[in-house]
Amino acid sequence: MDSDRGENGDSSHNHVSKKPKLSVFISEEEIRQEFSHHQRGIARINNGSFGSCPASIIAAQKEWQLRFLQQPDDFYFNHLRKGLLESRTVVKGLINADSVDEVSLIDNATTAAAIVLQQIGRAFAQGKFQKGDVVVMLHCAFQSVKKSIQAYVTGAGGSVIEVQLPFPVTSNEEIVSEFRKGLEKGKSDGRHVRLAIIDHITSMPCVVVPVEELVKICRQEGVDQVFVDAAHAIGSVPVDVKEIGADFYVSNLHKWFFCPPSVAFLYCRKSPLSSEVHHPVVSHEFGNGLAIESSWIGTRDYSSQLVVPSVLEFVNRFEGGIEGIMMRNHEIVVKMGEMLAKSWGTNLGAPPEMCASMIMVGLPSRLFISSEEDAMRLRSYLRQHHGIEVPLHYQAPSDVEGVPKDKDGLITGYARISHQVYNSFDDYCKFRDAINQLVEQRRSCKMLFTE
Amino acid sequence: MGRRMSRAMCMTWRHSSRLFSCCPLPFTSPSLLAPSHFHYIIPDIIVSHHYSHFLSSQNPSSQSSTMESSPPHHRENESNGTHNISKKSKPMLISESELRFEFSHHDPSIARINNGSFGSCPASITAAQHHWQLLFLRQPDHFYFNRLQPAILRSRTLIKDLVNADHVDEISLVDNATTAAAIVLQQIAWAFTEGRFQRGDAVVMLHYAYGAVKKSIHAYVCRAGGQVIEVPLPFPVNSNEEIVDEFRRALMRGKANSRRVRLAVIDHITSMPSVVIPVKELVKICREEGVDQVFVDAAHGIGCTDVDMKEIGADFYTSNLHKWFFCPPSVAFLYSRKTPETSPELHHPVVSHEYGNGLAIESGWIGTRDYSAQLVVSDAIEFTNRFEGGIDGIKKRIHDGVVEMGKMLASAWGTNLGTPPEMCASLIMIGLPVSLGISSDSDAMKLRKHLRENFGVEVPIYYRHPKDGEVNPITGYARISYQVYNTIDDYYKFRDAVNQLVSDGFTCALLLK
Repeated sequence: MDSDRGENGDSSHNHVSKKPKLSVFISEEEIRQEFSHHQRGIARINNGSFGSCPASIIAAQKEWQLRFLQQPDDFYFNHLRKGLLESRTVVKGLINADSVDEVSLIDNATTAAAIVLQQIGRAFAQGKFQKGDVVVMLHCAFQSVKKSIQAYVTGAGGSVIEVQLPFPVTSNEEIVSEFRKGLEKGKSDGRHVRLAIIDHITSMPCVVVPVEELVKICRQEGVDQVFVDAAHAIGSVPVDVKEIGADFYVSNLHKWFFCPPSVAFLYCRKSPLSSEVHHPVVSHEFGNGLAIESSWIGTRDYSSQLVVPSVLEFVNRFEGGIEGIMMRNHEIVVKMGEMLAKSWGTNLGAPPEMCASMIMVGLPSRLFISSEEDAMRLRSYLRQHHGIEVPLHYQAPSDVEGVPKDKDGLITGYARISHQVYNSFDDYCKFRDAINQLVEQRRSCKMLFTE
Repeated sequence: MGRRMSRAMCMTWRHSSRLFSCCPLPFTSPSLLAPSHFHYIIPDIIVSHHYSHFLSSQNPSSQSSTMESSPPHHRENESNGTHNISKKSKPMLISESELRFEFSHHDPSIARINNGSFGSCPASITAAQHHWQLLFLRQPDHFYFNRLQPAILRSRTLIKDLVNADHVDEISLVDNATTAAAIVLQQIAWAFTEGRFQRGDAVVMLHYAYGAVKKSIHAYVCRAGGQVIEVPLPFPVNSNEEIVDEFRRALMRGKANSRRVRLAVIDHITSMPSVVIPVKELVKICREEGVDQVFVDAAHGIGCTDVDMKEIGADFYTSNLHKWFFCPPSVAFLYSRKTPETSPELHHPVVSHEYGNGLAIESGWIGTRDYSAQLVVSDAIEFTNRFEGGIDGIKKRIHDGVVEMGKMLASAWGTNLGTPPEMCASLIMIGLPVSLGISSDSDAMKLRKHLRENFGVEVPIYYRHPKDGEVNPITGYARISYQVYNTIDDYYKFRDAVNQLVSDGFTCALLLK
């Protein structure tokens, strides 16, 4: 391997050349090895839910874990914070933040939501916001975020406006127009919109939202704070927090950025708000800023937060680094989506330009998916009987005309397929064939046997 | 599968890919961090005869006979991975060499007499943890839908039995006592905000409450309009009565001007300085005096002292399992007593799908993260059962051990213990020679660092502010811990280090920064 890298001073590399330094990108075989811990026989086309972590990063993580176990006091006093700062610095560079102080590392987007919303809840409790002031969110916001809003906002006297995300969707304008409507509603009766929570990439159904534009509208319309829940973003779309312009921006690094479970960054734009946000687990560092508070929340395993620099090294083994990975994931998932839609005679839930590395593919109407339970049932069936892991979404047909149809009826179910570097064409063929088989056998969801 | 595999997992520390055909670690290029466990060497520690302290008298302590006669399930000797345990046999008690192996990842150059701060985790439990981590990474959706919650429930059920709780609903798993404090205090803050408590109502805590908990109390209680009353505790302390008296006085202060004491936060074993508090008695007093809720912070609890929820009678009780119960970082339980009247609603601050389904269920899913430390409780219990008397045997021996070592050091230095032996569990405070000149918290920290870097001794140092009129007071105390992996040599090393400092005429003033 060393000679491939020319590290032994091979003379052929010494002559002057305008070409970039020869480097060897990760090979197919190496990629396979990196993900060889994935269960064989499973078409794992759901990177979106829980992410994935290559073996070399797992190994790097174990190294950090071992260092703690070897001499935890020394680790705590001399190594931990330095390691966390290095990780935060890598993230700052990736997202174009101004200062590393603006970057905190936490467990996941769910934790970030709690942090932002607790601050909102306190403002209501302290009378800074009036009862009835509004928090705007997307109708399809992630379930845990909705519950967090219920706990911290509604519970404190705030009211919530849900913006309907049209789905299937064909253009950004549809989303923008719904969002404007939501803001108008929020401002009605002299109320104040205190917070807008906007997904960068919604979870189910999955669509890339024009966040920059929506944030601009929020500023124009006098929304106090904007929180972008970008759980899926880093590693699947370019992230520039200054361009996006939100007050808070969170993304999970374990979803599309190859970190082990779990680690996310929460970006908090420097502002008077910065001192109002706190980690809910209060420890020694309380009051020293969220980033420092988050770096110690009691004894626990911080190792997943410490491998970020190793992950940067990992992605740079791919041609084009993370940008190259994003581009290829996008291209392939679109191709696979189109392949499936063609084979099944169905549709895509959003146009390619509104997708990143996940895409929604309509399922044949003959499967008669008529509820979320049906979708879950079919999902379990596919896992148990076909070794296919893919989340399915039930989209109730709206009254508005233009509900997509296939040759047999209304399309009410969608599969959210992901593509990550470990996926292969066979994964999607397997899925294609399993669905075709069900249709041929005239089996609908309700007929499927699951344990 | 879990039990037998867990012993086999020991080997993963040294030969990672052997047992997992599905997880061969790839050749990693030099540019990535090399997995150090490939280079992991079991150090050649000379076995101190003091390991036999922990082993059965039935078990001949000579290593060679143990090796030869070891039953099939001692994986160290097996190379073919066959499992031919006789099903009904009791597990053999752990031998000296096995014990050494279990903690051989500890830095051998350090006298690690500070189990209290960060705990410790035997190799076989780390291996069991890796097994769970791998299960998730293999097929996370299946893990999430089918495996995680039953495994968490199993852990909670085992803990319920260990701590004599009535209902498994009363047991939630959280990261650590710091998190548990946030949960209990958040609920107090809500009560103030919603007007159920009046501004000025009090929360009582011990002056020696853990720093993070103090901050949490200030953050959640003061911010919401509550008042905090600290119970000053004498140190050195000589009897439970001293503590009880101060506590009663503080409760009176809390109730002055017709205020209510809404919550008492009581340490079971304080951190610094470390003292075992008579919690049962204090809880009784709280009930007598009409304190609404009692929260016992027993970060140091399970595995070093008796932890019986019904005996202690608190409303909330938390203890870290990674400190004295051999679990990996990190896992703690939070006990919340079920009462016929409506108990206050506790919620995990990280709200997720399970919000509203009770704290135990909420805590079972707070977003994607590594729950593996919560899943090896059965392995930890199995580990303790390899010692004579199980966890109770361990508790007794580490108590006796730390007292013996404490007395040895106090005698060698001509100082005193900070508490009588009956007010200690597996930690004890020993006065440091006055000549060391510890005159501030910063001195204590610097001395600790000096001991670590120059003498290879890891021990936390406490600065005790002298009282007016004290002549030549002892102002520095070391908090030594004793856990199953410690040997007498660890404490000799500390003894000798301090003696050398004294004879060199060292004072803290000499230390920079």
